[in-house]
Amino acid sequence: MTIAKKILPYLLAVVASFVAAGIFISLMGFDVFKAYQTILFTSFRTPNGFIQTLLKFIPLTLLALAFTIPLNAGKFNIGGEGQMMAGGIGAAAMGIMFADLPAIILLPLVILGGVVAGALWGLVPAWLLYKFNINEILTTVLFNFIALFLIDYVCTGPWRDPAAGHPTTVLIGRGGWLPMLVNNPPLHSGIILAVLVAIGVYIYTSRTTGGFELIATGANPRAAGVFGINTRRMFVLSLILGGAVAGLAGAFEVAGNQHRLIEGMQSNFLQLGMIIGLISRGNNGAVPFVAFMIAVLEVGASAMQRTMMIPVEMVFIVEALILLFVLLSDVVRRK
Amino acid sequence: MEKKTILELKNVRKVFGQIVALDSVSFALKRGEIHGLLGGNGAGKTTLMNILYGLYRKDEGEILLRDQAVSIQGPRDAINQGIGMVHQHFLQISNFTVLENIILGTDVKNKYTMKMDQEAEKVKELCQRFGLNVNLNDMISTLTVGARQKVEILKALYRGVDILILDEPTTNLTPQEVDALFVSLRVMVNDGLSIVFITHKLREVLSVCDRITVLREGKNITTLDRKDASEEVFVRAMVGEKMDIENSIYFATEVRQTFDRTSVEAPKLKLENVNLISQDGIPRLKDVNLEVFGGEIVGIAGVAGNGQRELAEVVTGVVPVSNGKKIYLGDDVTSKTNEDLLSSGFSYIPEDRLSDGFLPKATVAQNLILGQHRIKPYSDGRFINWKTVYAETTKNIKEYNIKTNGPGDIGGNLSGGNIQRVLIARAFSMDSQVMVAHNPTRGLDIPSMDFVYQKMLARREAQLATLLISEDLDELMRISDRIAVIFRGQILGVLARDEFDKYAIGRLMSGITSENQPTEEKNLP
Repeated sequence: MTIAKKILPYLLAVVASFVAAGIFISLMGFDVFKAYQTILFTSFRTPNGFIQTLLKFIPLTLLALAFTIPLNAGKFNIGGEGQMMAGGIGAAAMGIMFADLPAIILLPLVILGGVVAGALWGLVPAWLLYKFNINEILTTVLFNFIALFLIDYVCTGPWRDPAAGHPTTVLIGRGGWLPMLVNNPPLHSGIILAVLVAIGVYIYTSRTTGGFELIATGANPRAAGVFGINTRRMFVLSLILGGAVAGLAGAFEVAGNQHRLIEGMQSNFLQLGMIIGLISRGNNGAVPFVAFMIAVLEVGASAMQRTMMIPVEMVFIVEALILLFVLLSDVVRRK
Repeated sequence: MEKKTILELKNVRKVFGQIVALDSVSFALKRGEIHGLLGGNGAGKTTLMNILYGLYRKDEGEILLRDQAVSIQGPRDAINQGIGMVHQHFLQISNFTVLENIILGTDVKNKYTMKMDQEAEKVKELCQRFGLNVNLNDMISTLTVGARQKVEILKALYRGVDILILDEPTTNLTPQEVDALFVSLRVMVNDGLSIVFITHKLREVLSVCDRITVLREGKNITTLDRKDASEEVFVRAMVGEKMDIENSIYFATEVRQTFDRTSVEAPKLKLENVNLISQDGIPRLKDVNLEVFGGEIVGIAGVAGNGQRELAEVVTGVVPVSNGKKIYLGDDVTSKTNEDLLSSGFSYIPEDRLSDGFLPKATVAQNLILGQHRIKPYSDGRFINWKTVYAETTKNIKEYNIKTNGPGDIGGNLSGGNIQRVLIARAFSMDSQVMVAHNPTRGLDIPSMDFVYQKMLARREAQLATLLISEDLDELMRISDRIAVIFRGQILGVLARDEFDKYAIGRLMSGITSENQPTEEKNLP
């Protein structure tokens, strides 16, 4: 099958969802064309819009990968949010505790703190799965709540910034800030690392022996086991990797955007990440492209709300419809 | 006396997706005959009968029952019209008695007391009339496959059918049970029943059927009276013009040389007192001693479920040995995992291809390297060399006649027979020192089966060891150098090629070890 033929159902799904959502928008009494213009072109009209898009793109890609890597092994990681928050806490802890260290040491420490904390948040459900066969969907979701309360504790506890009105910690050490690529509007260098991670994950799953074992495990764990793949090890590995990638996203929020830990940093990246992962059908190569598309929609959506007073939720509807139509195209093709 | 046609299927057509399973097939059954429906796997035999039994809808064509066009909506409908079918896999409740299973789903006279004396009387009478001896109060779970089949036939007879369809009825029967079945079938047709006998085994139809219809690739090839035709005619009809029958192993008649083990010093694989106890504490293999030499094909015969799967998994290291020793090329490999064994010269064709051997969501290429993905030339240990893999896959698709769109095709798009070919290509594409093949030809048509046999004999020539576990006794006798018979996890006996005797093997298969002398072939009625 040619690439064009493969992409066609996706394009149809996108067009169909826009048409469907357009009916709602016009029923609500808004100008559909203007709304869509705003949604689609805000990201490309101004430098600010584009950088906003890139800043959304980073966590979206990473959270989507945190979902797809375990998905490749046949496991559902619904804990990207918790792993991201844990990553943020880990990064902030490093940045605050060792605030005086020079950048050359502190920055890697902050990033690593995030990655390790995220991986740990993935490790516990993985271990419970390995040892007691406890369903990972349940445990990863529950670990989101633990992270939520932990972040609440950290932001209101000893590291609290008393001057802020919202629960936040104090700033992390200057050395822990990610260098800026563009200063105004601000774009931090985490994007380079995020793209490298996405490429790395793609190469790992499609080219390496370990990645093959991951895919084989997801395709049929019993057969993979019969042919010498330690599937339970692959389950654990995939959840830890997913957690680490989500943790990296948390570290970027701290080291790149806010320079402190803020309650609510997780936004709705988990849900969007899962939507991206599902639209990509677990194909890690497609994730960054889909993530970019969703980032464009997200940025366009807030612009639409600002200028036209159309609720931002409209875009959620579009995103959900795209997913539905993509899944539907699967069913249609099978017929 | 010319017998009357009782059932006729005319120009039946059935399409599954893009595959034409039946292309204008016609079939006529006369009263009081055993009509063989012969053909290889995928010929459309079972599909045709499933249409008659109401399990599938036909796309075109008509069914005439006693000269009247009928429409059969489901099995209940079929039974009401007097058509019964015995499937390959029995539908029985294992913790019910024989009698309870037979009358299940029918009306009982004493509904409230559930006293079934009258019904039992009726079943007993059927048993006697047709020579189907089963104890009605036995629990199904305690019965042999042969006895369970009798129950299934009684179920149909009890419902008063006069047309009985048997789908591959001899699978998993010992030769003795097969003979008994044939005797009963003959009694039934003498009593006025008509029987359709679906099989791919030529010898069986020749010995029991009155007329034979041959199907191939969903088409009628021929219908002949048994007495009018020779074996060659049927062979040719079954396999088509393309296959080279002279050089085939499937139809080979000449005696092959017995394997001469004196020329080889040590076995490639040796099992010493191997025991396997399952997780719930039940022994599955008991003191298994087995040697497989290089240049030898060792067959494992037995009724399914007697430890064959466990044996295959123990040898390949999928499950660890509970007790005993495994020796491979002189080294103790008892504690080695399947990961180690597969990379050091083992290959495996598992029995349950869909669950144990195939990745439906992965590509054909990915499927072909499963288990060999760590070793050269497919991988350097870290990275997979997809270029080589795709080149090899393309080669294998051609050599093993796998019908697919190419190496990148998703495995789930393949048909059962083609999935089996992928498993075979995977196992044979590397010259493994020890191959464990469990029912390797299941689901293949005759030319493909023959191809597998050729490949196995090539391994034999190359001094490689092959362990062939099969439920098809003909297959084992055709190709093995020695046959070991497994019964309840024990090897009851090992026979060399010159001692092969299907009745002797059949006795061992049913657990009888005494007086193991070969007997003369019984004359069939």
